[in-house]
Amino acid sequence: MDLPAKKSQGSDWVVWQLVDSFFPTGGFAHSYGLEAAVQAGLVSDSKSLDTFIKSTLENSGSLLLPFVSASFKLPDVAGWIELDRLLNATLSNHVARRASSSQGSALLRTAATVYPDLAELGELRGVVRAGRASGHHAGVFGIVCGLLKLDALTCQRAYLYLTLRDVLSAATRLNLVGPLQAAAMQQSLRGFGEAVVRKCADRGVEDACQVSPLLDTAQACHDHLFSRLFCS
Amino acid sequence: MREKWTGELTVEQCCNRAAATRAYARYPLKLVLPSKVACSGIDAVWVYLVTYGGGIVSGDSISCKVSVGDHCTLVLTTQSSTKIYKAVQGKFSEQVFKALVAKDALLVMMPDPVTCFAAAKYKQVQHFFLSLDANLVLVDWFTSGRRERGEVWAFESFRSTNNVYLDGNPVFLDTMNLEQDVSLPISSRLQDFHSVAMLVIYGPRLSSIRKRIEERVGSQCEEAVRKKKHRSSTHGRLLCSFSSFGPSDAGLVVRVAAVETELIYDFLKQELAELSDLIGAPPYYGK
Repeated sequence: MDLPAKKSQGSDWVVWQLVDSFFPTGGFAHSYGLEAAVQAGLVSDSKSLDTFIKSTLENSGSLLLPFVSASFKLPDVAGWIELDRLLNATLSNHVARRASSSQGSALLRTAATVYPDLAELGELRGVVRAGRASGHHAGVFGIVCGLLKLDALTCQRAYLYLTLRDVLSAATRLNLVGPLQAAAMQQSLRGFGEAVVRKCADRGVEDACQVSPLLDTAQACHDHLFSRLFCS
Repeated sequence: MREKWTGELTVEQCCNRAAATRAYARYPLKLVLPSKVACSGIDAVWVYLVTYGGGIVSGDSISCKVSVGDHCTLVLTTQSSTKIYKAVQGKFSEQVFKALVAKDALLVMMPDPVTCFAAAKYKQVQHFFLSLDANLVLVDWFTSGRRERGEVWAFESFRSTNNVYLDGNPVFLDTMNLEQDVSLPISSRLQDFHSVAMLVIYGPRLSSIRKRIEERVGSQCEEAVRKKKHRSSTHGRLLCSFSSFGPSDAGLVVRVAAVETELIYDFLKQELAELSDLIGAPPYYGK
């Protein structure tokens, strides 16, 4: 959007790959609690879906962007492990916690393969494999962007873009909207997403917070769903 | 010299019984220590946290520090809901709470809900420092406001932080933040629900209680996501779920949302009933 022109030239390709659905990170296995919210009757029409998606974006912004930007700024292994531990304690919802560590580990595996020169990523993989860290997604995404020297705001925007992409993809697969309508929603929610990024940009991890108690409650029901398409 | 905290409370073993060895409070906080809440034979200190006027006005800050000594049991509760009055000149009403819970001690914090009036701004920060085998029951909850006056999710902001540290390490860091937003008003996020609660359970003395809560909440959860027919009716609706947290999943957090505050009182009474054996009286009795 307002990236400095020089910087963006080389990094566009990098960013596009990071947010490409072709990049194997397993994002589409997760519905961000949408599946549970539908079965609990909290999302049933396009209005409640719109609220759900906005709440999810707001929640990603308030709860996770602080960890994305902290990891982005601090690309060293020891500091990253500490942030990962804090994030693990912050993700008190076990369904969200599990989804976060599985997506994070998948991203870490992919990024370490795609960027073998970034030795830190290999080291982090070792740390996660040894059980010394959970490998949460926000922290992995932040450090990958940091090591790739992306612009800070682009990194945060991309993170929220992934949230929007994945939740809309889940909405289509749950038959709440068709693919065309989902694409239209993706476009129309751009302004909301950008406002969230602006509001939460560079917020400290001590200010990380949840904003939607109802959806949080429903999401933790996920394991009790009789039949389910998604992991979370 | 003015004390840093508006309230300080220390419970320690004295002659083999738990006793409040320090109970200090200044305006607007009052500590009420009734001696006969717990039935005989059960060693628990009960303290009511009371504020003048039953609430916190804009710009007021209440800070309370509590220490529960080895093997002691302390119950903290309130007489009725804590009212948060409307913000004047944008000033927050604030509560800060810090608890140290020692070896084999039990802290039960089971207040009535916080009710924020229209245009209120409320901020609450609660830190619980547990020793390795300390025990904690924490209830934190709030309502949509003064419904009888048509105030429904009409406050300006509500922020509640509950952090639990085990032997100095963070095991549960939770902040709920509800702020009015033009494109996402609080009422749209909460739908028909009028009360939201969180229950945290931690510690070896609570392991059997915790297990039974998990079973009951799990089956209620299952029911809530199956009963398609009842979705259209919001009558009597309560949604609850649980998550484990911390090393070896030793902690339990239960989240509840309901269309009536009374439903959450009933839920808490039922889920915490077994605590009577440890604290000497049934939680939320008569409420």
